[in-house]
Amino acid sequence: MNGAFGRYLRVDLSTGEANTRALGPEIFEALVGGVGLGTAILARETPAGFDPLGPDAALVFAFSPFVGTSITTSAKLAIVGKSPLTQRLSDALSSSDFAIVGKRTGHDAIAIVGHAAAPAVLIVGEKGVELHPCPELWGTDAPIEEVDSELRARFAGHHFATIGPAAEHGVRFACIANGGRHAGRGGLGAIMGRMRLKAIGVRGRERMSIADPDALVSISKDWASRSLGPETAKYRRLGTVANLAAFNRLAALPTRNFTRSTFDAAEALSGETLQTTRAEGRSACRACTIGCEHFFRSRRGKVKLEYENLFALGPLCGIEDPEIALAASHRCDELGLDTISAGGTIAFAMECSERGLLDGTPWARPELRFGAGEVMLAVLDDIARRRPGLGELLADGSRIAADRIGAPAPDFAPHVKGMELPGYSPRALQTMALGLSVSHRGADHNKSGAYEVDFSEHANRFAPDEAAVAGAIASEDRAALLDVLILCKFLRGIFPDVYAETAPALQAITGRSTTKTDLKAVARRVVALRRWFNEREGWTLAEDTLPARFFDEPLEHGAAAGAKLDRDRFTVLRANYHALRELDGDGRLPPDQATALARLVASIGS
Amino acid sequence: MVRVELFGIPRLEAGTATVEVVASDVGEALRALGAQVPALVPEVISADGELSPHYLVAVDGGQLTRDPARPLRLGEVLVLISAQAGG
Repeated sequence: MNGAFGRYLRVDLSTGEANTRALGPEIFEALVGGVGLGTAILARETPAGFDPLGPDAALVFAFSPFVGTSITTSAKLAIVGKSPLTQRLSDALSSSDFAIVGKRTGHDAIAIVGHAAAPAVLIVGEKGVELHPCPELWGTDAPIEEVDSELRARFAGHHFATIGPAAEHGVRFACIANGGRHAGRGGLGAIMGRMRLKAIGVRGRERMSIADPDALVSISKDWASRSLGPETAKYRRLGTVANLAAFNRLAALPTRNFTRSTFDAAEALSGETLQTTRAEGRSACRACTIGCEHFFRSRRGKVKLEYENLFALGPLCGIEDPEIALAASHRCDELGLDTISAGGTIAFAMECSERGLLDGTPWARPELRFGAGEVMLAVLDDIARRRPGLGELLADGSRIAADRIGAPAPDFAPHVKGMELPGYSPRALQTMALGLSVSHRGADHNKSGAYEVDFSEHANRFAPDEAAVAGAIASEDRAALLDVLILCKFLRGIFPDVYAETAPALQAITGRSTTKTDLKAVARRVVALRRWFNEREGWTLAEDTLPARFFDEPLEHGAAAGAKLDRDRFTVLRANYHALRELDGDGRLPPDQATALARLVASIGS
Repeated sequence: MVRVELFGIPRLEAGTATVEVVASDVGEALRALGAQVPALVPEVISADGELSPHYLVAVDGGQLTRDPARPLRLGEVLVLISAQAGG
C-alpha cells in the first residue's frame, strides 16, 4: 500500500506482548490518518465508558500519509486518548522527529494498552519492542529536557515522547513532550503516567512507498515557496505573540479569569514589545519552512513563547511582568504542564482567593491574588507535584476544583467540558463562543477555528447569524482535514481551497484517486467519528455550553463594553449548528451514520 | 484628524504605533496612511490605497471591516490588524 504500511503496533504494557494489527485500505480511504486513524484505533481498543486512567485505557500515537515526505510542516503526529480532564476525546498534535521516525518503525500507529508493573521506557526499534525498567528516571522531578537528553544518550539514534513530573503525579492537564514540542491539551500525559510509562523511544528505517514521487516533489516545492508568502508573514516576523496587543485593542483578550477582556499592561507583554526588547531568534519544527517559534531573552535564559502561553500565564492571571510570564511558560515546559489549562486553573483559583471562597479551607493561600507572579510560579510546582492543599485541588483542573469548592465557583470556572478556555474572549468573539461550546474536546482553538469568522468582515462578532454558524462548521471541517493529513494550521492561509489543493498531494502519495469532494467527505466523517466516540462515552447536549459568567456578566471595558452572550440566541445558534451538521434535535448522530461509523471501527484489525 | 493605530508587522515597519491622517472614510484614511508611511506599501496597502487581503481594520476597535466607504467621524480611531488570528 502506498502512503501507509497497513498495520499498527499494539503494545500491552501489562503482559509485555506486542503485535501488529491490520489496517485495510478502506480505513485510509475513510479517515486518511492522523486524528481520524487514531480515534478509530482508540475506539477499537477500548470498551465503552472506560476510565482514561483505569486498566482499560489506551493511548494511540497515530501518523499520517504525509509524515516523512517532502511536504512542508508534515513532521507531525496525533496522540489520541480519552482525556482525564474532560472524559471525552482528546486528539493532540505535535511536530518532531518522533513523528518521522515513529512511522519509519513500519507502523501507521502505535497503540499502548495496559499498565507496566514498574516505571518503564518503551523502545520500538529495529530489534523489535522492548520494555526497559527505569526506576531511576521516575520521581526525580527532573525537567523533561534533561530526561530526554539522558534517554537519547542511553538509546542512541532513538527519538522520544516523554512525560514530566506533572504526568507522573496524575495532573489532568499534563502533556507529552517530544523533541521540545508538546502534545499539550487534554492531559494525555496523565494517561502515560498512570501506565507507568516514562517515555516511548522510536527508531526505524522502513520506507513508505510513494506512488508518484515526482508529482509530490513538485507540489512540495510549490507549497514551500508559498509558505514564505504574506499569509504566514505574521508568524515568521513576530510569532503568535503578535495576537496579544491586537486582541487587547479589540477587547478580545481574556484577562483576570475572564472578568475582563482588556489588560492595562498589555503593551509591556505585547509581541511587538517583546520583539524589540527581548528577541533571541526563531526556529521551526522539523520539516517546516514557516518557522513561527520565537525565542525571547529572560533572566532564566532563552525562552520559547507562544500567544497561548503568554495570555494564560500573563493577562489571564493579571501578570504584568514579562519575566514572570516567560519563567512560567518555561517552567510549564519543564514540568510537562499544558500552559493554557495551567494558567486557566490558577487564574480561577486567584479569583476564588480574592472572593474569599478558599478562606477556612485546606486550599486557602491568602497571598494568591491576580498579579502575584512569584506565587503563581510556586503554585505551578505545587500542581505538578500534587502537593497537599491547593496543588492537589488544582491538579484536577478548574471544573473539578470548582465542584469541590462549591457555589458560586462553577459559574466562573473557565472551561468547556472540563477543558480550560484558550485566549479568545467568548463575549467579544461570539462565533468562537459557539465553536468552543460544540467542540468535541472542549474549549479548544485548534479544533474549532471559528475565530476566523469573527476576524473577518463577513460577520458581526457580537451577534453572529446563521451564516456565521456555517462559517464555524467550515472552519471545523478544515481543521479536521489538516489534522488527518497532518499539516500545520498556519499553512491554511496559503490555500484558497484547502480541499482542492491537498487532494492531488494525497493522490501523489497513495496513488488512490482523490478528489476535493472525497476530502470534504473525510473531514465530515472525522468530525462525526469524534462525536460518535463522545456519544459512546456518555456525552449529552448539556455539555455543549459555556460558563454562566459569559451569559450573565457583560464586559465592562473597551470595544466590547456591554457584550455578553444571550442564552436564547446561543440556543438557536447551537440548534443551527446541529441542523447544518444533520444531527438530531439533541445534537446526536443519526442512527444510520452511527452504525456506519461503528462498523468502520469494528473493521480495524479484522 | 483620524488616528490610525498599527499592530504587528505594520507597527514594526512604520516604526510607530500611531499615525494621524486627514480622512473622512476608511478608504481615504488608508490612502493617506500609505502616503505618509511608504514602508506599508505594497505589503499592507496597495499603491492604489487598497487594503491587503491579509489585513483588516476596525473603527474604534469594534467591528472588523474592509469597506473603504465606511465613514469616519472626528475622533474615531482606525485600528489596523492582521487578518490572521491563529495562536
